[in-house]
Amino acid sequence: MDYGLKPLGREKLWLWLMLAPTIIGLLFGTIGSLLATLGLSLFNWDLINPPKWAGAENYVQLFQNKDYIEAFANTLKFSALYVPGVVIISLLLAVLLNRKIRGVGFFRTVYFLPTVTSAVATALVWNMIYGKETGILNFALETLGFAPVCWLCSDNAMMSVVIVNIWGAIGEGMIIFLAGLTAIPRDYYEAASLDGANDVQQFFRVTLPLVTPSIFFQTLIAAINAFQAYDYIYMLTRRGQGDSSVPVAVYSIYRNAFHFFRMGDASAQAIQLALLVAVFMAIMFWWERRYVVYE
Amino acid sequence: MKKLMFVLVVASLLLAACGGGAKPAAEEGPVEITFTMWGAPEELAVWQAVVDDFHKANPNISVKVDVSDWDSYWTKLNTLIAGGTPPDVFAMDAPLFLDWQSRGALLNLQPYIDANPGFLDGIYPQTLTAYKTADGYYGLPRDFQTIVLFYNKDMFDAAGVDYPTADWTYDDMLAAAKKLTLDTNNDGKVEQYGFWSDTWDMELLWSEAIWAYGGEIISPDHSKTLIGEGGARDAWAYIDSLYKEGVMPTPTTSGEFGLDLFQSGMAAMTTIGHWAVPGYVQSGINFDVAPMPKGPAGQATSVNSAGFVISKDSKHADAAFEFIKFALGEAGQTKLAQLGFAIPVLKSVAESDAYLKQPGELNQKVFLDSVAFARTKPVFKGYEEWAGVVGDGLIPVFDGEAELNATLDELIVAADEVLAANK
Repeated sequence: MDYGLKPLGREKLWLWLMLAPTIIGLLFGTIGSLLATLGLSLFNWDLINPPKWAGAENYVQLFQNKDYIEAFANTLKFSALYVPGVVIISLLLAVLLNRKIRGVGFFRTVYFLPTVTSAVATALVWNMIYGKETGILNFALETLGFAPVCWLCSDNAMMSVVIVNIWGAIGEGMIIFLAGLTAIPRDYYEAASLDGANDVQQFFRVTLPLVTPSIFFQTLIAAINAFQAYDYIYMLTRRGQGDSSVPVAVYSIYRNAFHFFRMGDASAQAIQLALLVAVFMAIMFWWERRYVVYE
Repeated sequence: MKKLMFVLVVASLLLAACGGGAKPAAEEGPVEITFTMWGAPEELAVWQAVVDDFHKANPNISVKVDVSDWDSYWTKLNTLIAGGTPPDVFAMDAPLFLDWQSRGALLNLQPYIDANPGFLDGIYPQTLTAYKTADGYYGLPRDFQTIVLFYNKDMFDAAGVDYPTADWTYDDMLAAAKKLTLDTNNDGKVEQYGFWSDTWDMELLWSEAIWAYGGEIISPDHSKTLIGEGGARDAWAYIDSLYKEGVMPTPTTSGEFGLDLFQSGMAAMTTIGHWAVPGYVQSGINFDVAPMPKGPAGQATSVNSAGFVISKDSKHADAAFEFIKFALGEAGQTKLAQLGFAIPVLKSVAESDAYLKQPGELNQKVFLDSVAFARTKPVFKGYEEWAGVVGDGLIPVFDGEAELNATLDELIVAADEVLAANK
């Protein structure tokens, strides 16, 4: 299919010229570092001495490294909680904010704000909210007569971190779903209500099938973000010596590369994480062919 | 496509690994050397003064000083070295020394030391051992820290508790801490803690306690973690009791009261080194210091130093050593003493007014006298990873989520694995 006009003559030159910064950036920045990581994963390199050939050794070690296995399991656990959380909550939020209610712009802004706020700054605020002795959350619990909870201790840290990450992501999800919702023609709802469908039935029979493209897209984005989640986790769970109470795969990659000087191990971990994302994407695209409805 | 991929991989590896190859011929004419260190911005002025004096004495050599904060310092250093443009002289934290030395990043200073007989004579020997390897020194200490007990005089006076003495035991400290832990407004929450310390790093409390209770931290050949044997278990039980008795906030909650609870006026005592003094003075806390308490096996504290190393690929190694020599000499050490962050390594300067007569009414001699029973903070390969396993691994215990002895047993296995991997 062809859309729009094709560039003519001199326009072509300008087209390439304008695209050049992005393409060069992609080539060297993204693809270059991807290939370099792939290459480094086959070597042992401590950043100072010349890299030594290691072959598949770094990959074999992934399956013996208890710390990495724990980090990898944490990433999976985190994703399993985070992805459905983001998709479901932002969809419900979008449905709520797609109505003609007073001050809808205000609410939309409020939910979108975390997306445009620095994660480091908001994580500091969350630290205060989660504080065991002085935190506002425990203050509320204690006022209601419950015992205080240590939100950031090892036992609860995963759940606390998932909540913050979901909170930070629903704004973006909401925008995507709002766009999807506005694209649904009004007459479908009119027809449905003429046939006697109530609100809940309308949601499941009309809205849900028609926003599947948005659900697909949002799940994909959320999953990629989940596998790469790092900033809130680092800020909320970092311990004194640089370990974390919720060490995730990216955390492990960072420490191995820049604290323990094991670039090879770190690169192999990064490649494994990338493979996992790729497998997940493949599953998603299979799911897309079966269930996603395009008008 | 495959070919292109191969070329790209090789090219990126080469880019990263090479660079900065050429070696210089003999040095002639004026040279500029670079000196990179971590530190607070206010330290730069003092270092600049040292550098200026050095330049006056050696007009042919000028020094470019660069100061970064602790975290960015190590990132920067890695980048500079990996990029083939290492600084000539850079600052080293003694515990991390072997991690850098074993990677071949550092120049052997032994030939220079041999060429300057008597050069190391006036330096505290406890500060030198950290930088000594089988084939000589690859670094030299610049200033050092002993850990002592700081106490808030106002809080002791208000509670009517006697000030700590040189004969205090760890049990005396706990007893005083209990009296100094107060819920002033009776809301069921503590407003003033008797004691506070960070327990994730061995330097502040747990290495001293383990030694004082007759334990050891690591075997001399760096192959075995000994923090679970003999007296060490008693030391851990003691530290755990500080948390369980509530005289010290748990690691995860203490951050809610500030980075340093002694400085924020939330705790009556802490164990820390000289680097904390300028901050405490600035906060207007009325405090003094006493030696570390005694344990069943006697008294112990930890000596740790910051030092100088020269990059192996430095193009001006001779000039770089001249600078180190100057900074460790009488004139350099006297200037550095003014910083107030540490103790000079040159004994004659540490015992002179330049160090002892610093502003404030602090009993500076306590830091020096502690050298008599001080042990060097252990230095070994894989230190950072090992410290993460042990120090951070005990946090769930102190948070009250895990049992001490079972956790220790698990940690020691993991810590020994780190040591084995770094052999």
